[in-house]
Amino acid sequence: MAPFLVLLVVVFLVPVGGAVWLSFFSDDQPGLGFGPERTVFAGLRSYEAVLSDPTFLAGLGTAALYCLVYIPLMVVAALALGLLLDSGAVRLRRTAQLALFLPHAVPGIIAAIIWLYLYTPGLSPVLDLLAKADLTVDFLGVHLVLPSIVNIAVWSNLGYNVIIFYAALQAVPREVIEAAVVDGAGPVRTALQVKVPLVRSSAVMVMMFTLIWSLQLFTEPMLLSQSTPVVGSRFTPNMYIYDAAFTRNNYGLAAAASVVLLVVTIALSYGLSRWTNRAARAPEEAAR
Amino acid sequence: MHARRIRIALTALATAALLVTTACTGSGGEGADARNSLGDGPVHLTFWSSLRGSQEVVDAFNKSQDRIRVDFEQVPSGQLGGYAKLSNAARAGNAPDVATIEYPQVPGFAIDGVARDLTPLMSDRLRSKLLPQALALTTFEKRTFSVPQDVEPMVYLYRRDLFKKHGIKVPRTWEEFEKAAAQVKRAEPGSRIATFPTDGGHHLAGFAWQAGARWFDTSDSTWTVSMTDKPTRKVTSYWQRLIDRKLVFLNSVDTQAGTAQVGRGEVFGKLTGAWDAGGTMAAQPAQKGKWGVAPLPQWERDLKRGKPRVGTHGGSTFAVTKDSEHPKEAMEFIEWQVSSPASWRARLSSGISSQYPAAKGLLPVVRKAMDTDFFAGQDIYRLFRREAGHISRDWTWGPRMTATLKTLQDGLARAGGGDGTVLGAVEEAQRSTMPDLKSLGLDARLREGGRR
Repeated sequence: MAPFLVLLVVVFLVPVGGAVWLSFFSDDQPGLGFGPERTVFAGLRSYEAVLSDPTFLAGLGTAALYCLVYIPLMVVAALALGLLLDSGAVRLRRTAQLALFLPHAVPGIIAAIIWLYLYTPGLSPVLDLLAKADLTVDFLGVHLVLPSIVNIAVWSNLGYNVIIFYAALQAVPREVIEAAVVDGAGPVRTALQVKVPLVRSSAVMVMMFTLIWSLQLFTEPMLLSQSTPVVGSRFTPNMYIYDAAFTRNNYGLAAAASVVLLVVTIALSYGLSRWTNRAARAPEEAAR
Repeated sequence: MHARRIRIALTALATAALLVTTACTGSGGEGADARNSLGDGPVHLTFWSSLRGSQEVVDAFNKSQDRIRVDFEQVPSGQLGGYAKLSNAARAGNAPDVATIEYPQVPGFAIDGVARDLTPLMSDRLRSKLLPQALALTTFEKRTFSVPQDVEPMVYLYRRDLFKKHGIKVPRTWEEFEKAAAQVKRAEPGSRIATFPTDGGHHLAGFAWQAGARWFDTSDSTWTVSMTDKPTRKVTSYWQRLIDRKLVFLNSVDTQAGTAQVGRGEVFGKLTGAWDAGGTMAAQPAQKGKWGVAPLPQWERDLKRGKPRVGTHGGSTFAVTKDSEHPKEAMEFIEWQVSSPASWRARLSSGISSQYPAAKGLLPVVRKAMDTDFFAGQDIYRLFRREAGHISRDWTWGPRMTATLKTLQDGLARAGGGDGTVLGAVEEAQRSTMPDLKSLGLDARLREGGRR
């Protein structure tokens, strides 16, 4: 345990403690602020500021909306592909696996650049084709920009999650499946009623990782903000933190926002695990 | 089950911790500057700027004397990272001796202690030379934090040829501007009289300034924020009407697309600062001789009272940073740069600048250095001088202007995408500015829909 504890303290507790400490202090100047600076204990002032800032709340809203679209989409799509691979219905299984996994090896920033190219009018061959069919789609417009970001994320992370599900499905005992087949269940029924319940814990894990990853959304919107004004400088909570630290030079505010985001992340993760546990217990109790 | 829940919670915690660490480690400042700390030889100064023609100015200064040697570094413009670079360098203790700061950012850098109080260093001679309306923007509580280089009254750069071709009169008032806008649209349905810039927080601020707004007021030793005061509402409802009637384009201007729009002749003019005459010359060489400069349209009431007013767009100042070991020499360089004819000759002869000097007595120099063929020989500096005299003195920039303007622009961009209004963008900018100021410990209060 010792190495684990050392790591936990060095890479987690110390930085978190540092952020919490930082969030309670401020380089203050009284009055108009043109006097000398002094570091003072500011208490919860930075937290008050963060929570009363409409741009931070809007960023949280964006992240929430993103999670609502992205997480179900990711879990369902990854599970479906995992089941297809597992069922043997896919030819060239190895090639399919590789093709699915490859985008995950592409760094996020590169993925964002590739997709930005495909989204930009005048550059994108896709948009050119659509234009020939008399369709104009503004992927970077007010309404489509969030789906566009979701799309980048799905492309990047789908393969990874498919592998998780596929590995879990491979571990399902073959005799259980054979029993289902003997009982007359077709492939779809076997998949949905036998295999899926058996890989529940993987689904929870995928949901959890996806949730945590989503709340920290930064790279893709940061890059898109360079090319579409619709993505503002504080589009997501993480972008707000970056902006607070490096545009507004307000480290106390940035630290407070980080702590708020950390608390939100922990609360949501906890809520999710509670919810999935209860959902798991419900059928058992019903059966009793 | 319990153990797993803890494990999951720990994973959540650990992952979230990563974000806290990454968000809070700053990228350190870069570039330690070579400074001469010994008494022998010339004093070395570093100078950061993104202004056009700065290299020429520095070369001329270095040639003019041998006591001070300025090392110039071209930096990206403020919004493109120049200000972040300066802040980071100051945090790391290696800011340049002299930095270029635009007017809106002067209070911010002064509050952060990056820009030094120059009051004891400034000679009376320099002080008396500078236009008071420029100096007022860099002076707080009777202390001056940077020296104005140029001051840029807003003007209307217009396509002489297009107005003439369609027999449309160049508007003198905003009321006439709206009528002319309708005429332009009728004459050429694919063209507009101007663009309302969605990346133009500065433009909107300039319009509000002209109408008598006071977004930030320091008169009672408190930052009083009232970005939605009556004059501002007059301005936002005017522009909203033009936008709704589709009488102006609504898109970004400081982008390739914006420049291309001007290049194709789809806009009949630009509402912008005097400096942009040079900017347009550089960007649209093919339109030589087709442009003219007119005063910014006035509100009829101001004109009737014989008190035309105007705000500014752009303009830069030079600050000596707290890290400078040679503030006296730095001040000497700044004084030479802003007020000597040789400096202005050097800058303007680079051929792409039309800055209006903030120091008096330089007009004969700049007029001679400027090639006005682009404007069909119009004496643009005479017009600039008159307009500079109309700059309203009621304006103060706020303590976190980069952020305020950025949020404003985020809102305008959404409005450009059909989501929200001009006033909504201003309100949002105001709401997000207050927490900023409060968390800095400044005395700040909000005056919503303030009188005046």
